[in-house]
Amino acid sequence: MKFSYSWLCDHLETDKNATEIGDALTNLGLELESLTDYSSYSKFVVATIKDFHKHPNADRLNICTVDDGTKTYQVICGANNVKKGLKGIFAKDGMYIPGTQIYLKKGKIRGEISEGMLLSERELNLSDDHDGIIELSDNFENGTSAIDALKLNDPVFEIGITPNRGDCLGVRGVARDLSAKGIGKLKPLKYEKITKLDFESPISWNIENDNNSCEYVVSRYFKDVKNTVSPEWLQKKLICLGLRPINALVDITNFITHDLGRPLHVFDADKVEKKLHMRLAKPNEKILALDNKEYTLDSNSTVIADNNNALAIAGIIGGESSGCTEDTKNVFLEVAIFEKDSVAKTGRTLGINSDARYRFERGLDKKMVLEGLNYASYLINKICGGSVSKNVDSGKLDTNERKIKYKFDYFEKVIGIKLEPKKQINILKDLKFQINQSNEKECDLLIPSWRNDIENNIDVVEEVIRIYGYENITESIPSPSDDEFVKINNSFINKKFKAIKKLKKILISNGVSEIITFSFHSTKAHETLSGDKSLKISNAISDDQQFMRNSMIFNHLETAEMNYKKGYKNIQIFEIGPIYNTSQSQENILSMLISSQENTNSIFKSEDFNFYSISNLVSKLISSLNFDAKQFNISRSTSNTFHPGQSAELNMGKKLIARYGKVHPLIIEEFPKLKNSYAIELFFENLPIDSISRTNSSNILDSQFQFSEKDFSFVFEKEQNLFEVQRYVNGIDKNLIKNVEFFDLYESKDLGENSKSVTFRVTIQSKDKTLDEKVLEQIHSNILEKVSNKFKANIRT
Amino acid sequence: MDIKKVLQEATKEIEQSSGQQELQNVKVAYLGKKGKITDLLKSLKDLSLEEKKSLGSKLNLLRAEVENLIKNKLNDLKVEEINSKLKNEYLDISFPPPNSIASKVHPISKTFDEVISIFGSMGYSVAEGPDIETDFYNFSALNIPENHPAREMQDTFYIDDTDKDNKPYVLRTHTSPVQIRTLLNEKPPVKIIAPGRTYRCDSDSTHSPMFHQVEGLFINKNTNMGDLKGTLIEFCKQFFNVQNLKVRFRPSYFPFTEPSAEMDIAYEIVNNKIHLGTGDLWLEILGCGMVNPKVLENCNVDTKIYQGFAFGMGLDRITMLKYGLTDIRSFFSGNLNWIVNNGFSIGDY
Repeated sequence: MKFSYSWLCDHLETDKNATEIGDALTNLGLELESLTDYSSYSKFVVATIKDFHKHPNADRLNICTVDDGTKTYQVICGANNVKKGLKGIFAKDGMYIPGTQIYLKKGKIRGEISEGMLLSERELNLSDDHDGIIELSDNFENGTSAIDALKLNDPVFEIGITPNRGDCLGVRGVARDLSAKGIGKLKPLKYEKITKLDFESPISWNIENDNNSCEYVVSRYFKDVKNTVSPEWLQKKLICLGLRPINALVDITNFITHDLGRPLHVFDADKVEKKLHMRLAKPNEKILALDNKEYTLDSNSTVIADNNNALAIAGIIGGESSGCTEDTKNVFLEVAIFEKDSVAKTGRTLGINSDARYRFERGLDKKMVLEGLNYASYLINKICGGSVSKNVDSGKLDTNERKIKYKFDYFEKVIGIKLEPKKQINILKDLKFQINQSNEKECDLLIPSWRNDIENNIDVVEEVIRIYGYENITESIPSPSDDEFVKINNSFINKKFKAIKKLKKILISNGVSEIITFSFHSTKAHETLSGDKSLKISNAISDDQQFMRNSMIFNHLETAEMNYKKGYKNIQIFEIGPIYNTSQSQENILSMLISSQENTNSIFKSEDFNFYSISNLVSKLISSLNFDAKQFNISRSTSNTFHPGQSAELNMGKKLIARYGKVHPLIIEEFPKLKNSYAIELFFENLPIDSISRTNSSNILDSQFQFSEKDFSFVFEKEQNLFEVQRYVNGIDKNLIKNVEFFDLYESKDLGENSKSVTFRVTIQSKDKTLDEKVLEQIHSNILEKVSNKFKANIRT
Repeated sequence: MDIKKVLQEATKEIEQSSGQQELQNVKVAYLGKKGKITDLLKSLKDLSLEEKKSLGSKLNLLRAEVENLIKNKLNDLKVEEINSKLKNEYLDISFPPPNSIASKVHPISKTFDEVISIFGSMGYSVAEGPDIETDFYNFSALNIPENHPAREMQDTFYIDDTDKDNKPYVLRTHTSPVQIRTLLNEKPPVKIIAPGRTYRCDSDSTHSPMFHQVEGLFINKNTNMGDLKGTLIEFCKQFFNVQNLKVRFRPSYFPFTEPSAEMDIAYEIVNNKIHLGTGDLWLEILGCGMVNPKVLENCNVDTKIYQGFAFGMGLDRITMLKYGLTDIRSFFSGNLNWIVNNGFSIGDY
């Protein structure tokens, strides 16, 4: 919301300057967004071009002799409107030009001295106009300051109004709030009520079947008016708002909308029939509105209509066909109370953001209906002449004041400081609450008609502290309790964040950098990775953000490709964040991508990534969380994200713990530069990270006695799961077999198509003694026999 | 027989040996079964006891001396041999290593950690909620009914699927729904923070369709607005590492808090850089307030007994302020140059 200092002073008697008022507005919760203050422009002055001639070395430049009232200067000027006798705004050597953000410096332009500059509106940040230098119409003395010459002595405030403060969507409301804060005194509204209402309005109202969207409407008919250009004071106010003056009738309604926060509408009475209705729109009823757009309505919207046509969308915008023009002779003024939800809904459906809608949907001061009617009547009559009818209305205006019982000690309970009832009452009185029946503990309050947002005690507390000042609240830091720390220590989510930190540290120390990508998928990614249909975003703002992602791999490939183009050949990135299975199911996972391309350095050979190095990294990540990857069930991954033969998944029961391997070549088709790409997805939320038990690390040789190592080679069926073999061998003698380490895998035609030869080393050790040969041999033969029986494996020698 | 002469000859031959084999030959020539010194020792048996004694000890000394010389020479030869071998093993130590990039964590990760740890020290545990929310949790339970103007201030992403109330799912526009989820799940006292991703359909240099927020909620019997002020000032002092922090609380409006406030931190520009904590300019840091009793009632909390405060702040924003970063879009660009320059290495994380 915008208004100027002088406009505010129409309503507020104050000795405070613009800066002080700006601070007060912010402290009231009416946040000052900008204060345009031109006081620094006093250094620019009016000057006259006494003479000029063409620049000898430049066609488009002129050499002007400029008089600023004290001295003459030579000024090189490129403007096309240079002429003898022109009065403009002059800046001297050394002055800062706000529009170009440079300091003027005396110097030669194409060989000729220039001692200053004649300014355009753009150079003064007054508009975008750079067609020529400013030409002053009035005959100002040379040397007059630009502030006086351009009438810039009125600072403009722009403030942010929160949705609860509809009462401050008019300058008068802002003045009223400032007066409660002690910034000045609210002046009475200055106008003369028209008493000569000497005829019945030929047009009348009927509120019908409108879903209770219109509580009350009142009008007057203005006969024989002359619609003209608005007087200067009115034009100036509209320009300050950023509105274009149109004609007096339209300007008056716009002015009252912003001055009193009271929207109203004028119909050209000769363009409407004699009976006007408030009714619901017919399905697909069309209206051409004042913004020159045609809107198609539905039966939830209320319109103002005559017997034939919809004339306006209630509370939102008028219609083009019934609008007032310069030729308007007779006027019908409408002031109504529309229900806010209904206006909000229609406005949102049609996408119309009008000043009227903005005010209606925030709730209006019902007592302002007649005030608005009277004020508008006065202005129309004064500016456009003519005569005014009696009121014509429909509906019933409920102006009953709302009452609440307020308990003074609630203030201290909520705010934490004491404030005597007397002081609270004074503040409430300043805010124009009426206090009936008060005692030490409580009082009955009548809520001002403009404060629709105040409903109960907490709202009153807020009002009192808002005026008393947030800076007066004494701060305290509540000391944490033991219970709270116990809760933190037991919290699964806190533990999860600790686990996440461990994972990040492992990855960073393995050369992987963290990235964060959007939670979205393009249609292409969604289809390629078969996302659920419930993940579609209805109002996406970009092609690559049409869906919620069900994997991060696509995003990471895109990231890798982008970095590849920037010259990174080996990309190792990870992200910890959400993926979405359906609209009702999401999980946080770790997703990592390694994409290493050909390495041409013959000296430094970077580590070659393959399935096994990835598998090793998975194992490291899992053991950093105190789990052993080999305890989980391993199987080939069925995900279509991965190469079917070079990917695996680890499961604990039915829960997926990890999925990793080479990215599926079909996906890589989209990213031809990233042929050698591997990914890991770690579903760490499925790990019972809050259980206290740690995995027993069986491979730590914790005895002082001699250990023995023995290698075994078996020929297994090709699809034999070696995780199972390892667990099985470990279990053959839980006390003595300390470690089973696989170290060779061999496939060849000699073994047979469907076979593989595998070698592992078993470490045997006792806690109590050095084992003798007999015991060792017993264990060895046990392993040979049991493994070959259990897995139908042949012993290799 | 001249023992001295034998020693001289042996010493000379040992000295002149140029390899281990040659030395071995010398050893055999003197100390072997048929070696010169062995022969001399053998010849003792023909001598008288007296002569045996005096010559025997001299010969034993001679043998010991020669053995020692050979042992020392052998050592020298081994060192020489290794040294000459090493000469062939010299690498070009000046070959430049390839340019490597340091791996880093994202600045947001560090902020997450610090926020969790600072509030953790004040007794706040971490809570979570989903990104795809229902209308109830994101809006109506927070006292933002269907046609409320506050809904339009938050440009909401909608999902093409409806919940059990037949309302479309939304991408949560703030972390505040976690307040509702927690209060419906736990009995007060409740003291939580909820960091996470949030979404609004808005994109320019200061807005990103996805960003991060942290929500805070403290409900207890007497938790008041002074506690709110003290808690947030303490957080900012610790997070921004500024002891004398000039702050301002000013009235604002959120449907789910009342009274509501926004907190600003003073700043000034020193040498073209933002300096936080002092000065006459203000930066908005967060929104907060006392939880609106309507919200507590929506969560079946007895407002005659319990009250408290809530706050929400942009994690990207406080990260940008702390480290002087300017474009929020670069946070989510995945650009490794940016991560390497602005992220944190393992020692700093």
